[in-house]
Amino acid sequence: MNDEHGQEEQDVDILFFEIGGGVFGTDASQVLRIDRSLPEDITLPELGRLHRGNRALVFDTPEGEGHLKVDAVRGVRSIPVTQLRRMPPTTGAAPYAVGVCLDEAHTVLLIDLVETARTQGTQGRH
Amino acid sequence: MAPDRAVAAQARPEQEFFCFRVGDLRLGVPSENVLEVFRAGLLTPLPRTPSFIMGVTGHRGEVLPVVDLLRFLSKGEARIGPRTRLFVGITGSIVAGVVADTVLGLRRIPVADILPPPLGGDAAAEHLLGVVQGATPQDGINLLNFSKLLQTARQRAVAR
Repeated sequence: MNDEHGQEEQDVDILFFEIGGGVFGTDASQVLRIDRSLPEDITLPELGRLHRGNRALVFDTPEGEGHLKVDAVRGVRSIPVTQLRRMPPTTGAAPYAVGVCLDEAHTVLLIDLVETARTQGTQGRH
Repeated sequence: MAPDRAVAAQARPEQEFFCFRVGDLRLGVPSENVLEVFRAGLLTPLPRTPSFIMGVTGHRGEVLPVVDLLRFLSKGEARIGPRTRLFVGITGSIVAGVVADTVLGLRRIPVADILPPPLGGDAAAEHLLGVVQGATPQDGINLLNFSKLLQTARQRAVAR
């Protein structure tokens, strides 16, 4: 029983979503809800060209709610923290690209939603 | 080391290089800067990185940035195919995967055979330790100052 509790503490819920055919992940605890998107929502064309973009991940920021347009939400999975890595600083990647989830065959880029709102400045609903 | 070889090494010191081909370039990296070679798998592209960072890949539980030397040296663009290899390059705390189309192997090169980089060469020449001539001009190998190259790559990536 203690082992099970310990195991849960070592897992992080990651919400996986799609933008332009690519799969990305984010800390599910950042996501308040999934909503329909509006034209003024935050977009991240660097991650891929949105196919439909008719969904938005809604998250909290100091300025209010942020909405990130996505194509689809794949769901939430509990991932052991041992499979999560911080982004090597040598890559010089965008600040919202905070890490990587090491899956069996590939790596999934982890996105910090709050950082996307900072990066996008005034773009997006708040 | 056998006495005669030791004497020979003293008389004609050598340096070991990991040699490979990428695009039309034949390059060598000091072997102490290379940890291992593995088959390139799927890369995860990253947003806003410099063009010579192709993305990251997972290897032995670590995340490696993958460097395209052709782009870094302004000599074209590497392509990842089924036969592409990555070698793990290291200097100090910097570790990166580097794209190689073909691995030529480890070669011990007499230091006396290493010629200085060509004067008035292009920007890539600043990252060369020297060149080794082959039987034909196509067999020559450009020897990289890999420590300087990786440090410059990091500076370019982080300074943006």
